Amino acid sequence: MKIKFFDANAYIGTQMLGVYKSAATAAELLEKMDEVEIEKALVYHMAQFDYSPEEGNKMLVETMAGNKRLFGCWTLLPPQTEEVIADNFFAQMKKNRIFALNLFPVHHRFLLNGVVFGEFFKELIKRKIPLVLSMREGGATWEMLYSLLKEFPNLTCILTDLSIWGVDRYTFPLLEKYEKVYLESGVLSLHEGSFEMTVKKFGAKRLVFGTGFPEKYQEASMLHLLHSNISETDKQKIAAGNMEKLLSEVKL
Amino acid sequence: MRNMSQLAKDIFKYGRVKDCPVYDMHGHMGSHYGIHFPTKSAEKTVKSMQAANVQKLIFSHHGSLMMRDGNSLSLKEARKFPGLLKVYCTINPNFPEVTEKDLAAFDEARDVYVGIKLLAAYHKKPITDDGYKKAWEFANKRKLFALVHTWGDNNMNGPEQIDEVARKYPGCKIFMGHSCHGEWDKAVLLANKYKNVYLELTAVPDERGPMEKFIEKAGSKKILFGTDMPWFSYHNYIGAVLGAVRKEEDLRNIFYLNAKKLLGEIGQL
Repeated sequence: MKIKFFDANAYIGTQMLGVYKSAATAAELLEKMDEVEIEKALVYHMAQFDYSPEEGNKMLVETMAGNKRLFGCWTLLPPQTEEVIADNFFAQMKKNRIFALNLFPVHHRFLLNGVVFGEFFKELIKRKIPLVLSMREGGATWEMLYSLLKEFPNLTCILTDLSIWGVDRYTFPLLEKYEKVYLESGVLSLHEGSFEMTVKKFGAKRLVFGTGFPEKYQEASMLHLLHSNISETDKQKIAAGNMEKLLSEVKL
Repeated sequence: MRNMSQLAKDIFKYGRVKDCPVYDMHGHMGSHYGIHFPTKSAEKTVKSMQAANVQKLIFSHHGSLMMRDGNSLSLKEARKFPGLLKVYCTINPNFPEVTEKDLAAFDEARDVYVGIKLLAAYHKKPITDDGYKKAWEFANKRKLFALVHTWGDNNMNGPEQIDEVARKYPGCKIFMGHSCHGEWDKAVLLANKYKNVYLELTAVPDERGPMEKFIEKAGSKKILFGTDMPWFSYHNYIGAVLGAVRKEEDLRNIFYLNAKKLLGEIGQL
């Protein structure tokens, strides 16, 4: 069976400190995806993190230019400042092929809780819009995440950029308690046996394939998934099926 | 897979290629205070090795690194799989009496011992400290391997300390574990300056770019494959190397030819 890949964690642009051979545009990212046979990707623009969510979100839309293989992910800021979340927000998401939202509370200096996002997160739950939480430096902390899910247990959360040091002690309790928490496989596949144990304990439906490109090698998580000790059906679910299902349920 | 050698394509397709074994020159074993490891035992480790055609793993048990007098744990596990598993004798300078005992007993364990392992950043004494002197002299005289945990911007086991020991102990084959992580250019300089110094890949493939630099500036003959097993998985790391290295000759050097040559030189092939 030929495995089809949907990358849940890639970005366009480069960090202000530079990244080796990053993709400056959507076209360059697609070229790199073609090289390794990745069909689709959920993408954001690094300017959303490093420079300004407000401007970066626009840059993402501009470079994606409606390409059907790319699914956009905008970065959120607190609704009260109206920098990102404004009137017709969801209509704008639909118009611009934005299917998920991410946030970087530490780097962008706000709190991740119901006081800040209460009504907005209730709307995300209703619309089944995934919230992508990067655990990279500047993203969310584990304490934030645990508190957030206590307040919003039905929020669909995809955790990406899991730490180089294994994170099972953090992720297993979350997977056990909250059925809408998903893990991106990129860094998880780095840890010997953790990926397989996660599938065994919680099922393949809780994982989505990701690469972490351009910081990480796409080939690393691909080779790992292709030859992991799980069934072929589970491999296909993780490689693309779960992500396609999540995005197909989004109501904009 | 465009732009890949046939060997790389075959590894992608089959997960392992018979005529391209992998030698892992940097591994561990057992449980750990900071991480849950599903693969802890020698039995599970060997199963993972077989899935990726890893034919040799040289390791130091976490118990030898993180507590006093733990080298016997490495020896016990390695002897369950003769030939597949080899051991670095951990040297902790905080316990000179243990070092003395371990070096005195080294020859009794030559069936598995291939050299010494230094983890100075954790043991809080630089690799140039007197506490390591006996071990360096021992390894130098016998032309053994010395796997040194190295990291950039670090005064325990950074490039400057490697420069000093490489000059002082030319008999040792010094493997820069993690290749002075972050100070990649300095690692390359050291690998080029000293015949006995090698770049080791553990924690290097986590980031795109450094491996390409190593190939270009130091050449594949100075690069050794390592994973920190069970920290990092074989297929993830092999995939990363395939992403970085295009020529089949370079892949073979990194995956096994360099390691086989070095093991042959110390009679441990």
